[in-house]
Amino acid sequence: MRIEIDKDVCCGAGTCVLVAPGVFDQDDEDGTVILLDATPGAEQREAVEEAAERCPTAVIRIV
Amino acid sequence: MTQSRESGNRLARTFPTARPAGCPFDPPAPFAEAREECPVTPLQYPDGHVGRLVTGLQSARAVLGDTRFSSLPAGKRSPVKVPGSELSTDALPAGMFVNMDPPDHTRYRRLLSKHFTIRRVRELRPRIQEMTDRLLDEMEGKGGPVDLVEAFAKPLPTLVTSELLGLPEEDRAQFGHHVDVLFSLSSSGEEMQQSMVLLGGMLHALIDAARKDPGQDILGRLTVETDLTDEELLGITIVLLIAGLETTTNMLALGTYALLRHPEQLAALRADWSLMDDAVEELLRYLSVVQIGPIRVAAEDFAFEGQSIRKGEVVTVSLPAANRDPSAFEDPDVFDIRRGTSRHLAFGSGPHQCMGHHLARLELSIGYESLLRRFPGLELAVPVDEVGTREMMVTYGVLGLPVRW
Repeated sequence: MRIEIDKDVCCGAGTCVLVAPGVFDQDDEDGTVILLDATPGAEQREAVEEAAERCPTAVIRIV
Repeated sequence: MTQSRESGNRLARTFPTARPAGCPFDPPAPFAEAREECPVTPLQYPDGHVGRLVTGLQSARAVLGDTRFSSLPAGKRSPVKVPGSELSTDALPAGMFVNMDPPDHTRYRRLLSKHFTIRRVRELRPRIQEMTDRLLDEMEGKGGPVDLVEAFAKPLPTLVTSELLGLPEEDRAQFGHHVDVLFSLSSSGEEMQQSMVLLGGMLHALIDAARKDPGQDILGRLTVETDLTDEELLGITIVLLIAGLETTTNMLALGTYALLRHPEQLAALRADWSLMDDAVEELLRYLSVVQIGPIRVAAEDFAFEGQSIRKGEVVTVSLPAANRDPSAFEDPDVFDIRRGTSRHLAFGSGPHQCMGHHLARLELSIGYESLLRRFPGLELAVPVDEVGTREMMVTYGVLGLPVRW
């Protein structure tokens, strides 16, 4: 699993950090997403999928 | 109630507001009928305009995430006449980013997001707990019965918001009063106008004070870290007030009422406080207090989910309807604190999704748990048919909630 993010459309809601805290973080300066781990292990798949689904601006893509 | 009329060859509903008799927590029944026909159906607005109503969860998410459905005020109208819905939007101060589209919206939102990150919000926990405990001390001191709305649900978000904005303690009562008038069903137009002017004056004074002596609160930080004008700061402050106060107040009071009306759920929660976060999510889903809107206007002609959307069409999303969508939630009308899902749209979706959702969740979780722990025998002090509800308001809730313990 590899994760791509489109930071330009991120609105800083932080839902991804809530759902998958080891994979995503929030920038202290503008609240936008920081990808901590672009290739997390399979055990994170469910959380990452939920983060992608619940992201209000569809920033997260699993490729 | 709901009338319908032929518009072309399609049936356009009017926006329903009447809750089913005896079921104050359920959305008006016509929403489910509309959703069964199609998640996006024609909707007739009070001036005769025919736009759309969105009642399905996936469609709601799609509309709110698609910026061809614009948030700009031009052409926007409310599907029902509610207090404030006819106030002119021409004179809105700059900085009211709820009425903007990207990229303008993005600029404002990013300046503010840093104050609402999970990390920042978690730092507020001890302070919110302290404010909550103080309110409960006062309530306990007074003895029951008290109106939970006045004693707890209103003051808690007002205190939290005042602190975030850096409002001095001595101004908080007056500030609360003006906010109250603006959000009250019973205020006359004259009273609202007067409170708006006085509140505007208070906020201007607050912005002046932040510029002279910037503190660590949001306004203080914004004056130091950004080049926002006073007018923009005023707009932002108003957005934070509108978004943060009424919603949280109504969730606190209506949520408590819902728990009292579902004693088996309340007992389960009292037996296991680790269910609190799930209970908050379920209350957010089940109650969905933002009952009118979000509202968008189609910025162009385009096809959406197989329908032809015309430029200028007004689209109203029903969050309560979306959050009872049976294709998204099993037995959606059942209140179940063990449901364990937060995939609801209580905070909306898309670029305008509530920026304060982490803060709201924290206030609710601290608020409900502290209240219920403080008063193990908390109960309604009036028969249920005497608990009035806010049907003709943007934010649903109870008009008052007399409780004793």
